[in-house]
Amino acid sequence: MAQERLLIEVEDLSKSYGPVRALHGISFSVGEGQILGFLGPNGAGKSTTLRVLAGFLPGDSGRVCVAGHDVGADSLAVRRSIGYLPEGVPLYPDMRVGEYLRFRAQLKGVLRSRRRRFVDEALEATRTTDVRKRIIGTLSRGYRQRVGLADALLSQPPVLILDEPTVGLDPEQVRLFRQLLDEVGRDRTVILSTHILSEVELVCSDVVIIDQGRIVARNSADKMLGVVGGGVSVMAEIDGPRQAVRETLASLDGVSRVEVGEAVVGSDGAHGGRSKRGGSSFRRYRVITSDGPRTAEQVFLSVSKAGWKLRLLEREARSLEDVFLDVVGRHS
Amino acid sequence: MSVSLSVRSSLTGVANTMAILRRELAAFFFSPVAYVVMFLFVLSNGVAFYLYCAQFAGAPQHITYVVRSLFQFAFFWVLPLSPLLTMRLFSEEKRTGTLEMLMTAPVSPVQVVIGKFLAAQLFYMVVWSTLLLFVVVLEVLGQPEGPDWGPVMSMYFGLFFLGTLTNSLGVFASSFSRNQLVASILALTGNLLFFAVALGAWIYVDNPDFLRIFQFASFQAHFSSDYIRGVIQLRYLVFYLSFMAFFLFLAVGMVESRKWR
Repeated sequence: MAQERLLIEVEDLSKSYGPVRALHGISFSVGEGQILGFLGPNGAGKSTTLRVLAGFLPGDSGRVCVAGHDVGADSLAVRRSIGYLPEGVPLYPDMRVGEYLRFRAQLKGVLRSRRRRFVDEALEATRTTDVRKRIIGTLSRGYRQRVGLADALLSQPPVLILDEPTVGLDPEQVRLFRQLLDEVGRDRTVILSTHILSEVELVCSDVVIIDQGRIVARNSADKMLGVVGGGVSVMAEIDGPRQAVRETLASLDGVSRVEVGEAVVGSDGAHGGRSKRGGSSFRRYRVITSDGPRTAEQVFLSVSKAGWKLRLLEREARSLEDVFLDVVGRHS
Repeated sequence: MSVSLSVRSSLTGVANTMAILRRELAAFFFSPVAYVVMFLFVLSNGVAFYLYCAQFAGAPQHITYVVRSLFQFAFFWVLPLSPLLTMRLFSEEKRTGTLEMLMTAPVSPVQVVIGKFLAAQLFYMVVWSTLLLFVVVLEVLGQPEGPDWGPVMSMYFGLFFLGTLTNSLGVFASSFSRNQLVASILALTGNLLFFAVALGAWIYVDNPDFLRIFQFASFQAHFSSDYIRGVIQLRYLVFYLSFMAFFLFLAVGMVESRKWR
């Protein structure tokens, strides 16, 4: 990991639009082959950062390097090594898909001899071959999005910068997009922004969470789930005196919090939730802990020791959504 | 090594400019505005042509006056033509965001501006060339002989270089605003200012030095005194081409500045 080549380096980048400060000195880096999810609520500064990376907007201060070239000093070299998909996918509505991609390939300096092949491959990869003769203005949102993606892939650049790449795609297309990203992400560095958390969970190797122009969390996706925002939780349905159960669970090692849910009244006949000792019923407890497996074990042991009943014991990974809300909420 | 490198980079520069030129030219032929402009251009000049023919019908020796009157009438189009053709070039890309796509490709603002300008210049000449239809009609039907082609050629010579000025002004105006209407009004006002300079010649009619300056600085004067009489004046080209360079330079600066969001 120490020898890892960094393809995107951002150091202390600030950017203001007039009196509005969009970025407050953010720093992060992306190594070769990584897929970085750039996560944040709307207006957090995601698009601004990506625009600076793509060489469209200059930053006010700080250093930004993409593929070894400084964005300010050597903008052309940067733009040669990226594929950029801007937010909203602006395309010329009057051109045909194939014609547009040939035009773009030419602008991106793809040699004439390779142009046809590169266009074909980009169409193939994004499953847009069937619309190559269609006029872009008549395409649906999903197709336009994919044509934009084909454009980004066109010159087979080492770095992909994708701003909200899955907005407007239906679930099937999102699945295809993930597949595609898996394929192209193997030998490319990708940074993609999104506010859809499940996307980051599934696709990205690393996550940066940005809020109000500041980076509030940065880690690998797995670690983000495990560590940030209080780790994992264990969910148990226990039949016992509410206060006693709660205190017992809270006293276990590594437990930070116990949430007590409503009584669960079983409704599914055969395995009935209602206790045979009439009146008493199972209740749901969520135990937030830093060490899921051990806590789950201890929950079982302590419940059986006290003679209560345990019907369900489940370890829940904290979803990125919880983490996100925790982290963003903490800072705002 | 460095020489071959710079040759190669200037070649890709030309290739980029050509790519943009081709796409913009195609966009002209797809754009309803261009067709409406061309239709109105032909329509208004056709009406004028008919009236001039009717007026001079009894005097076939005056066929050259028909041509001259036709061009004099069509010359009014100098004011709105370039603004209408060029207003789209940058404004629309800014409004729809495609400029972001364009400028994040490895192209320089100079290549983009020149490509768009050349496309406008070409389409501008296409629009003006429709006037030739009427001259050809005179050539075919004129008795005992057709019109003098000399003034026609000198007019086209003048219109081409006038176009380098008005089109570059239009390109600059378009780079200024994301609103096409604002861009076209800006360019139209610029054209009007050039027209207004000619008025100075009447105010300072007694001062031959001022008169010369105003004569030189007003393209209306260039056409009424020279190009329409079949005189090809090369010295005016300094005027047109330096303004062209100036406006294109400003347009490149606007595109580079990225002050918009």
